[in-house]
Amino acid sequence: MALSIEDLKLAILEKATKSPKPQLYIKDFYECDVDSKPRVVKNAANDLVKEGKLMFWSSGSTTMYALKSRIKNEEGAEGVN
Amino acid sequence: MAKHETPLLDQLESGPWPSFVTDMKHQAETKPEVWDILGQLELSYTDRISHWKHGGIVGVFGYGGGIVGRYSDLPKRFPGVEHFHTVRVAQPSSKYYSTKHLRALMDLWEKYGSGMTNFHGSTGDIILLGTRTENLEPLFWDMTHDLNQDLGGSGSNLRTPANCIGQSRCEWSCYDTEECCYFLTMKYQDEIHRPAFPYKFKFKFSGCANDCVAAIARSDIAVIGTWRDNIRIDQAAVKEYIAGNYPANGGAHSGRDWGKFDIQKEVIGLCPTECMWMEGGQLKIDDKECTRCMHCINVMPRALRPGVDTGATICVGAKAPILDGAQFATLIVPFMKVSKDNDFEELVNFIETVWDWWMEVGKNRERVGETMQRVGLPTFIKVMGIEPIPQHVKEPRSNPYVFWQDEEVPGGFERDVVEFRKKHAA
Ligand code: HEM
Ligand code: HEM
Ligand code: SF4
Ligand code: SF4
Repeated sequence: MALSIEDLKLAILEKATKSPKPQLYIKDFYECDVDSKPRVVKNAANDLVKEGKLMFWSSGSTTMYALKSRIKNEEGAEGVN
Repeated sequence: MAKHETPLLDQLESGPWPSFVTDMKHQAETKPEVWDILGQLELSYTDRISHWKHGGIVGVFGYGGGIVGRYSDLPKRFPGVEHFHTVRVAQPSSKYYSTKHLRALMDLWEKYGSGMTNFHGSTGDIILLGTRTENLEPLFWDMTHDLNQDLGGSGSNLRTPANCIGQSRCEWSCYDTEECCYFLTMKYQDEIHRPAFPYKFKFKFSGCANDCVAAIARSDIAVIGTWRDNIRIDQAAVKEYIAGNYPANGGAHSGRDWGKFDIQKEVIGLCPTECMWMEGGQLKIDDKECTRCMHCINVMPRALRPGVDTGATICVGAKAPILDGAQFATLIVPFMKVSKDNDFEELVNFIETVWDWWMEVGKNRERVGETMQRVGLPTFIKVMGIEPIPQHVKEPRSNPYVFWQDEEVPGGFERDVVEFRKKHAA
């Protein structure tokens, strides 16, 4: 059975806290609950951004998610297009 | 006075064509930060490497797209481009503007940005090139509140949908491209403004196979107008073209004398499916062979018109060459009715089936066309619930293997091992 939205959000936050790299693709969150449809996971992750817990990190062509406390400055990175 | 020496860039002004270098020097007279773009670019030409840093967390509140963050990696040397973010502004359907609106938009950009623009970017949006992080929120506020104009898509979002001018000006448009583009833009606001996918996703709408928005080359889902009845022929007008009384192509090639109009050479001989011929002074078309390429209609618009039972062809999977090679979209549905009357129901179902599948199966940074290539067309059309048709076949098979699905074989692939072993020792 799929997790409730609240539990799904907790699982997403936990993954964003423990992942070796701070930036995660939306697909990395799918495994937080294999029973939730990808669009449900996407909506939960975007909700967490609205709540100020996660933030978007965009290269321009791809958008990733990160825990706010794990990204220090606003600056870009090299090597990602 | 030039702030930086730019001998390499200056060479780009010497040819016969207009030069962006000249334009930027002109702009630098009122926006001095533009000198730093030229300086940094000159340095990149010498160093043979870019000095832009890609990406970041810039954006406006509530949106996860529309701003593309760019920073200089030499901010001390080129302070004018320390921040140089791009703003994607959603264009209206068919790009109709009043000059008043454009002036207001440019005034805003003079106030908050470099004043440099790109009308329009490859995705279709207006591109405002170069501003600082602290200007983003005030620019967004003024643009949405005073000009009623929104940001477009970027990153892993649905990108700003785009359409040809369609029925607003073009008699060939087989469906209302503007209505379709507008309807889907409003329906998928969340997907446009917030990331939704493993990578970017685009759809574009052309009213006929002339494909004036190049949907087939640029969009993950291309909706291209077509018809399934017959080309309408006015035989009297055909005669006028043959007699030279009507100019071919609506006079579009009149800059030069091409000689007398030759229907055999210019129309019948160029029909890609060879389905046209003259018989007893009449132009004949074997419509079941016609691929609706638009060529004959383009040449003789007063004599030939698309049919009246109109809709669209749906092609999937075009992309630019970034990860793999460039590719055109592949035909998936030869004909679909596209109409506001049922809120584009069939098209919406199609789009959402593609999304559900691609979000699950697509890899990070993989366009849907690449996912299709990876799994193969037979698998993709099965996912879409579509029966294979001859038009899906690109070329005769070169692989001698025939793969059967379990359900296609009487009794399936299950076997009773105990029964089998009675006759065949292990
Ligand atoms: C009545 C029994 C068999 C029939 C009718 C049969 C028939 C065939 C045929 C028609 C081919 C394709 C040849 C080609 O591509 O030109 C083939 C290939 C092959 N067969 Fe059999 N086969 C039989 C038994 C076996 C057995 C018992 C083995 C192994 C123990 C075997 C191993 C192979 C292998 C390895 C190939 C591939 C050869 C290659 O790579 O070109 N076959 N067989
Ligand atoms: C995990 C184990 C294996 C994998 C992943 C594997 C994979 C493959 C693949 C991908 C092909 C090419 C198929 C094609 O051309 O469409 C192939 C061909 C073949 N494999 Fe294997 N294989 C495995 C084990 C074996 C074993 C154990 C044998 C023999 C005892 C074997 C015998 C062959 C032969 C004879 C061919 C050539 C068939 C032909 O082209 O006619 N394979 N295998
Ligand atoms: S794509 Fe076809 S319908 Fe649309 S503007 Fe071009 S010619 Fe007209
Ligand atoms: S539309 Fe194209 S394929 Fe059809 S008859 Fe005209 S030239 Fe031939």
